[in-house]
Amino acid sequence: MKVLAIARNNLVRLFRDRSAIFFVFIFPLALILLIGLQFGGTFAPRLGVLAPSPGTVGAEIIENLESADGVEVVALSDETGLKEGVERGSLSAALSLPADFDERVAAGEVSEVGFIARPGGVGAALQPVVAEVVQRSVLAANAASFVAAQDLATFEEALVTARTIESQLPASEVQVTTVGEALFPASLGRFDIGASSQLVLFMFITALSGAAVLIQTRELGLSRRMLATPTSVRTIITGEAGGRFLVVAVQGLYIMAGALLIFGVDWGDPLSALAIVVVFSAVGAGAAMLLGTLFRNAEQAGGVGVIVGLGMAALGGAMLPIQLFSPTLQRIAHLTPHAWALDAFAKIRAEGGIGDIGLELGALAAYALVLLLAASWRLRRAITRP
Amino acid sequence: MTAVMVAKGLAKSFGDLVAVDGVGFSINQGETYGLLGPNGAGKTTTISMIAGLLEADEGEVRVGGDLINPRAVTPKRRMGLVPQELAIYPDLTARENLEFFGRLYGMGGSELADRADRVLDVVGLHERQKDLTKEFSGGMKRRLNIGIGLLHNPELLILDEPTVGVDPQSRNAILEAVEELSRAGIAVLYTTHYMEEAERLCDRVGIIDQGKIIAEGTRRELVEMVGEKDRVSISGTGPLAEVVRQLSSTVGVAEAGESESGVTLLVEDSSSHLAAILSTAAQAGMAVSAVEIEQPDLEAVFLHLTGKALRDV
Repeated sequence: MKVLAIARNNLVRLFRDRSAIFFVFIFPLALILLIGLQFGGTFAPRLGVLAPSPGTVGAEIIENLESADGVEVVALSDETGLKEGVERGSLSAALSLPADFDERVAAGEVSEVGFIARPGGVGAALQPVVAEVVQRSVLAANAASFVAAQDLATFEEALVTARTIESQLPASEVQVTTVGEALFPASLGRFDIGASSQLVLFMFITALSGAAVLIQTRELGLSRRMLATPTSVRTIITGEAGGRFLVVAVQGLYIMAGALLIFGVDWGDPLSALAIVVVFSAVGAGAAMLLGTLFRNAEQAGGVGVIVGLGMAALGGAMLPIQLFSPTLQRIAHLTPHAWALDAFAKIRAEGGIGDIGLELGALAAYALVLLLAASWRLRRAITRP
Repeated sequence: MTAVMVAKGLAKSFGDLVAVDGVGFSINQGETYGLLGPNGAGKTTTISMIAGLLEADEGEVRVGGDLINPRAVTPKRRMGLVPQELAIYPDLTARENLEFFGRLYGMGGSELADRADRVLDVVGLHERQKDLTKEFSGGMKRRLNIGIGLLHNPELLILDEPTVGVDPQSRNAILEAVEELSRAGIAVLYTTHYMEEAERLCDRVGIIDQGKIIAEGTRRELVEMVGEKDRVSISGTGPLAEVVRQLSSTVGVAEAGESESGVTLLVEDSSSHLAAILSTAAQAGMAVSAVEIEQPDLEAVFLHLTGKALRDV
């Protein structure tokens, strides 16, 4: 009963703090939205094409590009828009066909096409795709140009014949086989990765900010006043830990529910997701209490809490997906509870159940146990010594 | 008289620093005991041991016969602590603060609601019960700080410098509340370094310095213990030399001399001898226009006992 009173007190105080309400409830969902819009979902590179007078061959190139998988072709009308589009990122890359492209191909002359992309990234990766399409499209034209040069037929007649023959030739296909697992499942929604990352990031930062509240409770003499009542040290410590746990768990459940209802985030098996939130909340509560006993004033603890929270989130894969880390860094990342929690979320999103995340839950529970025991020992000393 | 609290031979050291060294005293039902001493004298350490917040190295504390220490939970129900710092939640209302600590005292339901109402009346905060305490003035916070200590009707109320930083009006309200508690039969342990508070409130005073109680008793006993006398100034006209001569041999007068406005005397217990002194002065031909009595206060006692003024320490 007294434990509940102390824990409830923490929750009431959280809801009284307007800045805390913003950071605990509003900011996380806003970030999930922003990250989802920026990085989430399927992505087709946009290829701008400038063809002032495409002619037969140019039109075929554009048609072939439009039918290529995973490329969105955008027709442009001037050179300036083409360059600016690439520079500003609205286009991944751009292709420029000269106005006399068809004439030069028909005459058997060399005709250069322009390809513009920013160094590195998706745009540069489009270059071989575009080059292959252009070469394939001018192949029949080159043959027709040769026939016309021999005065065996006009260019147009020869081009029709060449295309007919080309279509009848046996085609060589490249069989693509992928090995290993995809970094991200194809079923991953726009907001899914961002949601779980933001969940663990904010739960942990909120937990650590609770260290300042704990120090304030001591600074104000409230802990000693509680000890002067018929309340044991153990009850006070359990109540304070319960308070921290409740605050973090409420935030975690709120983010889960909000992301599910607003953004349609798929958290996987609900029971497993709940288990992850509960155990991770216990980790956060332990970390907050330990931090709250290591510092003497709330300002120090608040500052260090944010740095530690962001640092562990970055290392644990809550800012950049851990799948992008090197194998060595991935192992190091698993020194943080964040990595284990994110692993667990990834597993249940991939149709896993509670039985599939036993290792992750066990690791998180071990973190929670160690942190809570250490924090309880430290807090007992802090409360009972002047 | 029933002793509500008995402390015997309390000692506490922090490393090489001896904070409390063999402190012992008792407080009876309805008695207000003042623990008077400068900052660092050992008052708060003594109170911490009595309140069961700190383990004593030596000695023991019993309240209502029960042993008190940090592990003793149930006996703390008998005590209320009003700490020196404002130990209230700034982001809870006055009522929520009371109800929270009430629950820690094992109260609940209508009992807690009734007690909270009563305490809010006593400390004059009923109108502001739904306001967050961070919006309160210093005096209002102090009153709530005391109210929390009273909530569960303790047998012993420990007040650790409850008027520090309080405006005169709130201070007076607090002192009146303590007097009322004493009349209601609650034993009060009151620490302060304000002499006038100790003189007004306390039935007995223990003077603590460097971790030891160096003197204990009623104000009068302490004054007599150190031999301090009342200073009586009699203003008037007449044959002052003759008046001084006759007053010097009057019972109770230890010393007599002329002053600019009349005569000045050092008298043991002036209230007992004033009538005889004035009669002697009149018989010696003095036309008395005014009499002023300065009784030795605890400040003087403290100065006498420690060789230093309390406020300067």
